Amino acid sequence: MPDALFTTITAIIMIPVAFFLSIIYLFLLRKFSARFQWRVGPVISMYADLKPLLGRSRILQPLYDILKLFGKDTVVPSVARKTLFKASPYLALACAFGAIFFIPLPGVPLLSYLDDSLVIASYLLIAAVMFTILGAASSGSPWSAIGARRESEIFLVYEIGFVVALFAAAMTYGTLSIWTIATTSSLPLLLLNPFAAVLLFLVMIGKLGIKPLDIAEAETEIVGGPYTEYSGKYLGMLQLTKGFLFYDMVGLFIVLFLAPMFGTALWIPVYIISAIVVVLFLSIVHVLHPRWKIDRAMRSYGLLIAVFAILAVIMVALALSYNWVVV
Amino acid sequence: MGIMAKSRIYSPWLFHFHCGGCNGCDIETLAALSPRWDPERFGIQLVPSPRHADILIATGCVPKQFIPMVKRVYEQVPDPKVVVAIGGCACGGSLFYNEDPDNYAILGSPDLLVPVDVYVPGCAPKPEAIINGIVQGILKLAEKKKAVKKA
Repeated sequence: MPDALFTTITAIIMIPVAFFLSIIYLFLLRKFSARFQWRVGPVISMYADLKPLLGRSRILQPLYDILKLFGKDTVVPSVARKTLFKASPYLALACAFGAIFFIPLPGVPLLSYLDDSLVIASYLLIAAVMFTILGAASSGSPWSAIGARRESEIFLVYEIGFVVALFAAAMTYGTLSIWTIATTSSLPLLLLNPFAAVLLFLVMIGKLGIKPLDIAEAETEIVGGPYTEYSGKYLGMLQLTKGFLFYDMVGLFIVLFLAPMFGTALWIPVYIISAIVVVLFLSIVHVLHPRWKIDRAMRSYGLLIAVFAILAVIMVALALSYNWVVV
Repeated sequence: MGIMAKSRIYSPWLFHFHCGGCNGCDIETLAALSPRWDPERFGIQLVPSPRHADILIATGCVPKQFIPMVKRVYEQVPDPKVVVAIGGCACGGSLFYNEDPDNYAILGSPDLLVPVDVYVPGCAPKPEAIINGIVQGILKLAEKKKAVKKA
């Protein structure tokens, strides 16, 4: 167990690092999807004649979006339940932000060495989505209400898969501490239990609103879904929540399924590369699929989640009974 | 220029508002946002709700039944905001200008109801013209915040 001072210092350093990484992940998602659609996407090096007006680079485009939203006027609808409407973006952001301390980087355990860190992290990630739904439901707009209902329907499906995927890792290594899972394994869990990895990837698609399952914020049908009534700083906070959720989910995927690289900080470049690969796979899914209908999403996505959950549990049972885990 | 002022120029979000009309300008507006011109290179994005928008793109001439909606959508856009009128109808009424006798259904251009900052004439304007109009709108957006700060 690392000492308290080291944990405090790394946690403070971690805040800007996680913020920067989440901005980069959001940028990469936009850039990769643009390239797949034969577009340029946010430019990495600005055209020479436009540099004085438009800046040198747009790698920080999601950051500019968030900063702009914080600088804008904030409109609160008169029919909303104001306390809940204003509080939920703060609470959602707090949960997604709190979860970054339970996602370790190579050589930096943060709070993930705690005995139950996997449970705490999963609760924080669930709560961040819950508060988004709550804020939308309290806004008094029919579009937000439909968005909240869709979000909660899809939420009920993927949370089962989320819990099974996390506990497949926990049962395989016999611990609920993320750091113990990350450091004791000698073989990536991706090879040992690929079904659980696919399951967590499917959950990420639902949780982050990647294309076939972005039915909650389907802008061509229900305006903005849960975000319809939010503007200004509250929308900025929800964008920030999305960024941190992105960081949390990608980090959780790497730490649980691509594990044996958390011994020293020298593995950080490998961590970054694997994060980029995960984002690349997410953007491939994002560009290849049209949006599903809600009933089809419930049926097909539920079926996928159920099948992979059962297969993941079977693989865990096999791994435990034949002692595949080399600690 | 501070980072807040910069970010306002770097990430203009558009709300495409069809006030009424023949849909020609709407097709051209969406063509301007298509991969061929790809304004996402510069952070320009189409957003679904007027509450998220910085720039309101108004196309077409306003039918009389649509007057309250035009006013309301304009008020829903949070400050600082810019209105860009696309097409001949939105710039001055076009063939509905000053009809005699009065048209029973069509009021005229949206600038009779809301303050318009940039006019992009044409029937329908080319995507290049629309992008130029949006850029003029972005420059006005930067100026607007300065004016608010001075006051």
